[in-house]
Amino acid sequence: MGLEIERKGADGACTLVVRGEVDLYSSPDLRSAITKAMPKFGGSVSVDLRGIPYMDSSGVATLVEGYRTAMERSTAFILLTPSQSVLKVLQLSRLDTVFTIRNEA
Amino acid sequence: MVMEDDIRLEMATKPRLLGVVRAMVRSYLQSKGFSAETVDLAVLAVDEACANSIRHSYGSRTDCRMELRVRVTDAHVEFELIDDGMPLDWERCARRELAPPELSALRPGGLGVQLMYRVFDEVTFEPGGEHGNRTLMRLQRPPAGQTAHRAHDA
Repeated sequence: MGLEIERKGADGACTLVVRGEVDLYSSPDLRSAITKAMPKFGGSVSVDLRGIPYMDSSGVATLVEGYRTAMERSTAFILLTPSQSVLKVLQLSRLDTVFTIRNEA
Repeated sequence: MVMEDDIRLEMATKPRLLGVVRAMVRSYLQSKGFSAETVDLAVLAVDEACANSIRHSYGSRTDCRMELRVRVTDAHVEFELIDDGMPLDWERCARRELAPPELSALRPGGLGVQLMYRVFDEVTFEPGGEHGNRTLMRLQRPPAGQTAHRAHDA
């Protein structure tokens, strides 16, 4: 099952809306999308995670990579409305308090 | 007493097949009366074991084979993953505590094995004979008539 990743918003302040399962097979697609969306400096990248029914550690590692790159570039990196499944794996990884998480209706 | 395997699933080391493994494990555990939360966690942990073999035992080669065996004992459901790849890095596979890291210390990777430890009651990594590795994961069965619900501290 592949990922659907829709990019919304302008360069420098975009949101990636991700749908599908994130695992060892599909996480390279998410990594590539985050890399392409990342501004050279400043701005923000938000990743909408409400449409993800399953995420494994490769997905978490991909988000960690994104976070680290964003920190280096003074870019805000925000996880939007993570699904229960995503939230659970972040909690198990002890990373739920590390990321900036915003819940939207 | 030697328990017979309920399932032996031999598969190619192709990451796109992990979804098939997850579906099988989910269906099997549901049939054994585990709670929805425990099923979700165990599916994640078995997926991590398979991904660990693909990445670290086979170096992400997709033309190899590995086998997942599933059986029940009086007390547990056991998942045994057998691969024929390179020996795993035992130090990397050791259990460690996951503490909230400093942001500057965040590194991707190395997390999957720790998730396995946090989900299963018992996880062991052993050499698989002349080649490869054997990963054994045990999950305590729910008492008869009850639904097992794991109380995780996360």
